Amino acid sequence: MELANSTASSSDARWRTRLIIGLLLAVWMVLSGRLVMLQFIDSEQLRKLAERQRTIREVVPARPGEIVDRDGRVLAETIRVSSIYVVPNRIDDGWEIAQQLADSLKIDRDALFERLAVHPERQFQWVKRRLTDEEVVRVRELDLPVGSWGFRDEYLRQYPQGSLAAQVLGTRDIDGLGRGGIESSFDRTLRGDDGYRELECDARGRVIDINARTDRPPRHGQSVMLTIDSILQLYAERAMDESFEKWKPKSCAAAVMDAKTGELLALASRPTFDPNQPGNAPPDAWTNRLLADMYEPGSTFKPFIVAWALKHDVIQREEIFNCENGVYRMGRRMLKDFRPHGNLNVVDILVKSSNIGMAKIGERLGNPRLHEAAVTFGFGAKTGIELPGEVSGRLLPLKKWTSYSTGSIPMGQEIAVTPIQLLAAYGALSNGGQLVTPHVVRRDEASPRNEPAIFTSQAVSPEIAEWVRIHALREVVKRGTGKKSDLAGFRVFGKTGTSQKLDPVTGGYSHDRHVNSFVCGAPAEDPRVLVIVVVDEPHGGPGEHLGGIVAAPIAADILHKALLHLGVTPDGTTLQSAEKVSDDTIIE
Amino acid sequence: MFFRFGGAIVLAVLISLTGVGLEKRNLELRRAVSQQEYQRELLVERQARVRAETQKLGAPPRLLEALEAGKLRMREVEQPIMPKSKSKTRKRGAA
Repeated sequence: MELANSTASSSDARWRTRLIIGLLLAVWMVLSGRLVMLQFIDSEQLRKLAERQRTIREVVPARPGEIVDRDGRVLAETIRVSSIYVVPNRIDDGWEIAQQLADSLKIDRDALFERLAVHPERQFQWVKRRLTDEEVVRVRELDLPVGSWGFRDEYLRQYPQGSLAAQVLGTRDIDGLGRGGIESSFDRTLRGDDGYRELECDARGRVIDINARTDRPPRHGQSVMLTIDSILQLYAERAMDESFEKWKPKSCAAAVMDAKTGELLALASRPTFDPNQPGNAPPDAWTNRLLADMYEPGSTFKPFIVAWALKHDVIQREEIFNCENGVYRMGRRMLKDFRPHGNLNVVDILVKSSNIGMAKIGERLGNPRLHEAAVTFGFGAKTGIELPGEVSGRLLPLKKWTSYSTGSIPMGQEIAVTPIQLLAAYGALSNGGQLVTPHVVRRDEASPRNEPAIFTSQAVSPEIAEWVRIHALREVVKRGTGKKSDLAGFRVFGKTGTSQKLDPVTGGYSHDRHVNSFVCGAPAEDPRVLVIVVVDEPHGGPGEHLGGIVAAPIAADILHKALLHLGVTPDGTTLQSAEKVSDDTIIE
Repeated sequence: MFFRFGGAIVLAVLISLTGVGLEKRNLELRRAVSQQEYQRELLVERQARVRAETQKLGAPPRLLEALEAGKLRMREVEQPIMPKSKSKTRKRGAA
């Protein structure tokens, strides 16, 4: 009996032992399996998780580069400022914080509280970006609970010259992206590339080390030097302000260009805005009228047709045209001159701006050559200026031209141009017949050649360009429609233009809505500078529909100041740098 | 035997101390570099602010009217930038 009992208890003990061993083995196997999972299967994921908890990647923003004018005056500069954020899920009393912050930052309390209350689970919420130094001090003095708020550094774009050349510069939005002007077209160059650095943190998220091996320093933005001359820009802007005041137009614009190089020295447009306060800009102030507005050039187009006719020998320089005493039937169309003229030579056709004379020259050229002339002088295509928003104007394909076009095109109708196209085309007449890309960037540090790409093409021969300039366009200023632009001592050449706008109701030409323009330059023998002024729908005085009355005096004022500024004397010579009024003087 | 053991211990301690010293020095240098980097950033920032301020104060839109009205006058710098000897002083762009 005892033996039986002893055998049973020994069997129980063995069974218990085996059970315990089995359980231990099972536990061991589970643990081993888990270890294998952690070590081999999930290792990569867990490693990344640990890395994420241990390290923070902080973006080091690149400082945007400067924009400077041709003399190195700063037009756009960047400074670092603080922006304030809060951590809503660490805020106990949202109303209290909202009230304190709103009072310090002069923002709406309710709006701020609403922002905090809508997403209380959030880890991050901007309160106000780009604070002033005074606001930063006021916020620090609040002594808000640690961990519930913080400052973050951001860059603020500043424009020290105020609204000067606003449409040329553009602005940067709240996220630092270029909007409009050079800020937009050279955004990559100016913005640079952000860098980053990895910070190692302890369990509580405090930074304990910076991992220097994985640092990538930012590549700060590079500078862009413009061809703009701030002084000339200011003269142009002031002339535009006066014109806006006097003629109350829908818009107006002026540009000054170096006649030889195509460098734009000033580009002013009204209405305008202050890029330091882009939020206050009226919607139509962002448009650069010199590139984005197009209009029928009217008489300012005539010299190109004359030059083209001379090039193709369809007219002679001294040839006389019968201008039919102001009325001429051309096919089904009756053409009229503003004033009746009898016989006029080619120069007088331009001086008196005879539409009939020009239509007769157009008849000799024919549509294919007229179209060729417009294309050769760069109309119907973008000039290639480095600013965004340029339109190509309107030049219909030759197959869409009719017999009307033969009369309309030579007098600057049926074609729409931008002021910058027109200025560039006059540049060809001032530069030995060579059409040069008008440009506004002088030096681009990011470009391999560190200079802009400029294309040139020979439109007409130097002799023809010189004859049109000296004999025809000079006479327009001496005794024609551009008399108001003649400057004593300077041999100014130019051409007025008045074009009627289309009436949206009737579909025909309006009798009270005009675009007045004037293009001029000096000295006629060796032009140094060209000026264009375009005034869209001027109102407010006799002669408001005449380019010679509205635009010519403004252009002459800008031209006079430009010539003096560039050291061009009335006898046509250019002063040496040290003799002209220059930067080697200081202001007391 | 005792000396050998003692010598080995001393050597190990010395190597450790040298290591600690080097690590300390390394940290000091890294801190110094970091501080200089920070100082450089501050100076770049200050330069940008001063530059922006001077440009704002000397901006043509701010000065030109005063110059034309004769409220400000320009004088030649003592050492002219241009090498020409007979430079005249006059108002820029005065008609």
